[in-house]
Amino acid sequence: MSGAKTFLLELHCEEIPARFLKPLTDEFAMAFSAWAAGQGLVTSGLEIFFSPRKLAWRGAGLPASQPDQTDTQVGPPQRMCVGEDGQPTIQGLKFAEKWGVEFGAVRFEQPAGKKEPCAVVTITKQGRPTADLLAEALPGLIAGLHVPKAMRWGNSEFEFVRPIRNILCLLGDQVVPITVDGVAATSTTWGHRLYHRQHPEPVKIASPEVYEAALEAAGVVAGLEGRRTRIAQQLDQLAAEAGGRVVADAELLDTLAEIVEFPKIVRGEFPADFLELPKEVLVTSLREHQKSFCIEGPDGALLPFFLTAANRTDDPAGFVKAGNEWVLKARLYDARFFFAEDRKHPLSDRLEKLKALTFQRELGSYHDKTGRVVALTKALARRLSTDDEHIDRALEAARMAKCDLRTLMVGEFPELQGVMGGEYLKHEGAHEEVWKAVKEHYRPVGAEDAIPGTPMGCLLSLCDKLDTVAGCFAVGLIPSGSKDPLALRRAGQGLVRILWEQGWPLTLADLVEAALKVVAPKATKPEADTREALLTFFKDRVAYQLELAKYVGSVRRSTMAVGWMDLVDLKLRCENLSLFSEDPRFAILGQSAKRIGNILKDEAPLNDFKAALLVEPAEIDLIQHLHRVETQHDIIVTLNNLAELADPLEAFFNAVMVKCEDPALRATRLSLLHRLRQAFLRVADFSLWQ
Amino acid sequence: MHIQELILRLQRFWADRGCLIGQPYDLEKGAGTMNPLTFFGALGSKPWNVAYVEPSRRPADGRYGENPFRVYKHLQFQVILKPSPAKVQDLYIESLEALGIDLSKHDLRFEEDNWESPSLGAWGVGWQVVLDGMEISQFTYFQQVGGLDCRPVSAELTYGIERICMFLGGYDNIFDLIHGEVTTDDGVFPITYGQMRQREEFELSAYSFEHADLDLHRTLFESFEKEGWRLLKDHGHFLSAYEQALKMSHTFNVLDARGAVSTTERPGIIKRVRDLACACARAYLEFENGKTPTAGNAEIAEKSTVAGKGGAK
Repeated sequence: MSGAKTFLLELHCEEIPARFLKPLTDEFAMAFSAWAAGQGLVTSGLEIFFSPRKLAWRGAGLPASQPDQTDTQVGPPQRMCVGEDGQPTIQGLKFAEKWGVEFGAVRFEQPAGKKEPCAVVTITKQGRPTADLLAEALPGLIAGLHVPKAMRWGNSEFEFVRPIRNILCLLGDQVVPITVDGVAATSTTWGHRLYHRQHPEPVKIASPEVYEAALEAAGVVAGLEGRRTRIAQQLDQLAAEAGGRVVADAELLDTLAEIVEFPKIVRGEFPADFLELPKEVLVTSLREHQKSFCIEGPDGALLPFFLTAANRTDDPAGFVKAGNEWVLKARLYDARFFFAEDRKHPLSDRLEKLKALTFQRELGSYHDKTGRVVALTKALARRLSTDDEHIDRALEAARMAKCDLRTLMVGEFPELQGVMGGEYLKHEGAHEEVWKAVKEHYRPVGAEDAIPGTPMGCLLSLCDKLDTVAGCFAVGLIPSGSKDPLALRRAGQGLVRILWEQGWPLTLADLVEAALKVVAPKATKPEADTREALLTFFKDRVAYQLELAKYVGSVRRSTMAVGWMDLVDLKLRCENLSLFSEDPRFAILGQSAKRIGNILKDEAPLNDFKAALLVEPAEIDLIQHLHRVETQHDIIVTLNNLAELADPLEAFFNAVMVKCEDPALRATRLSLLHRLRQAFLRVADFSLWQ
Repeated sequence: MHIQELILRLQRFWADRGCLIGQPYDLEKGAGTMNPLTFFGALGSKPWNVAYVEPSRRPADGRYGENPFRVYKHLQFQVILKPSPAKVQDLYIESLEALGIDLSKHDLRFEEDNWESPSLGAWGVGWQVVLDGMEISQFTYFQQVGGLDCRPVSAELTYGIERICMFLGGYDNIFDLIHGEVTTDDGVFPITYGQMRQREEFELSAYSFEHADLDLHRTLFESFEKEGWRLLKDHGHFLSAYEQALKMSHTFNVLDARGAVSTTERPGIIKRVRDLACACARAYLEFENGKTPTAGNAEIAEKSTVAGKGGAK
């Protein structure tokens, strides 16, 4: 398009919290696109830039003005506009005047839906210049951004995420004259603070296209991706130089890229004797307190180095490195102090102290919770193992699981819960099964996280989550809609995943019954209601587990419908049925199953089958196929047999009238359909296949 | 740099930029914000710039003078600028340079850190200022104080004096800091922070963790509360009533350090302090508005905005 222009808007603010950068730029881009479409301005969407002090957007290909809009207006019939003498009537002149045209411009045509020719004018509304439209709309679009933690500043009533100090707004090389909270748009912006120590003047942006280059020259990498790539490269290089590799942490990498305008990775050292701390403690302390990465050697053990990002291009005097080392040392002293203090008493000493730590108001303390988890572990472990010593160890792990909540280290780093309990038990010489189970019993922490690495860890995690979910349901704390403040869905999902991956012979009904028993003393809601709510809740979790396992909709729907509580059985049916999910015969079978369902809908279950009564070849053929299905126990052979049933069944429906006049024959045929349905339901409800 | 030199430079710097130099308020308190120069100064529309040192007591942080980084009582240097100037970040950065920090060689970042004081009914948004990885200041735009919206908004800058001194001097122990030098006929004697304060740390820690009479403190809390409401309700005295709120706050901190306040009791007790503080804030504004016609306030406010908006660096 000739005359197409590029648009650029940058809000230069005081440091914007990292967590708001992307949501705000995304939201504006969407609002802008919607507005532009409404104005007839076609754009291919906005390019987004952000840095700690900048929110910016660029859109190419904007026309210099809106396209002209033509509009056809229909007036009175011709006979009323033109007199018999051929001269315009008063009504005719008024119509022309109304639309601002000479009478000569009025045409007479018969528009669709009219019975006779009428006065018609075509009005051309000239498109307005894009610059004017932008100037009018942008302040409203900016003010309309949804800022979760908005602030005011100075004397103004204007609210935004942080004070806006400069606005750069260009269409092509022209400034779009907008003003937001008294700040008028310019063609300049500000670079890195350090750059302006030598260059007091603002940075001129000659055109939107040179935005990144001009900023980079002023010490700012405008795009997140550019900063992230630079950080990742420097991290890898500096780690390799130290003889190791970075302990990966994608979230921390994102954070660093969001909090600097120009990233320089600095490698510092800490005294090697801090390496006696557990790896998780060092990694957590460095990440949480200093936004720093650890470096691990080839054997996975940490090296006494850390990597962090500075917001500048260099470290000329070594102050950045020295400062970070100083702070880190102070932090690690703290961590070592906690580690030493915590180990002055055995972990089990904290069991009593759990009485003073509330788990949930109605469900009591963590001591109460521990009691319930121990009871659940006892009930379930017996069903999984006959080895008494093994079961005793599982109970020991359950008793110790929550003790670390009263340690100094977990007080400082709540995310180390479980990990510290495991570490302290290991130091005390506890059995490997026990300390590992305690260490991993919060896993899986999210959808990305693995389940615990040991069966005992899995059992402990499952019992802990089961108690949490069932306990909360029993006192009426049930997630609804977007409200799930206690993250019960995540706990429930973790539980289902453990069961799914472990393949234990425990059904969700078993688990719910066991849990209802242990939470009964605290329950405030009727048990029947809690049971029903729990089963509904877990059914949803199982359905989601099938989605996570990537089963297609037809397989998920049809298998869940015949039974979802036994995950071993469900998984087997899903896996095998998936092999047939593309088989067209199952689509036919699905149709027939639906038909069977409709026919049997109003019929009581019949068991009145008399083979001798069957007359049609199609039904005699069908009954032989059905026999094969009914006598087969291997699921994969059964599925093959079912597939082969598709055509005979379709032929049957084409040839046979089920609800015939003869009552005995009719009963036999209905019974046949009933048997067919039973045979299907051993695997799936095929009527839900489509 | 000696502690007293750091304080003197900050005072000189802010006095030169149109701030009153205030003094610490002679009551125990947990943070410089509680000083009436800030609490009442941030309310209402009159222009108000003030800077002062405030000793801040946090009984739970006491470590008997044995921990090299944590103390029962530390010094905050507090600056209030109302309304917040357009170049407030630049001003702050200049103040660091006045302390001899050459920012061309350091890494300075403003990282999100929002501030809230439930016992003052106050909150704001802002940053912790991080120099080479070390938090050296808290920077807040007050949005509410005493439960009332701040109009205009004040900027509050809080410098951690000991921290900055330790960081600049590379000290690994707070008690090794030099407060200043005493010169006599016999010579020059540097005096350390430890000489001045270590015994105090020991005794105050012991007091808050062992010796404080809990029953007395519970009684005191009730009595201060009663006294505060009596002063406010019967006499309309918000300054003396506010002092009672400060005493309640400190008394609560002593009880809390001893673990004498359960988690369920906690919010209720904090609310009792807040209720009194918020009532004092409202009474103060009523008093101010009654004293000065509203039009007069607006006029003063108008004069203060001539600085206008400028570009940030």
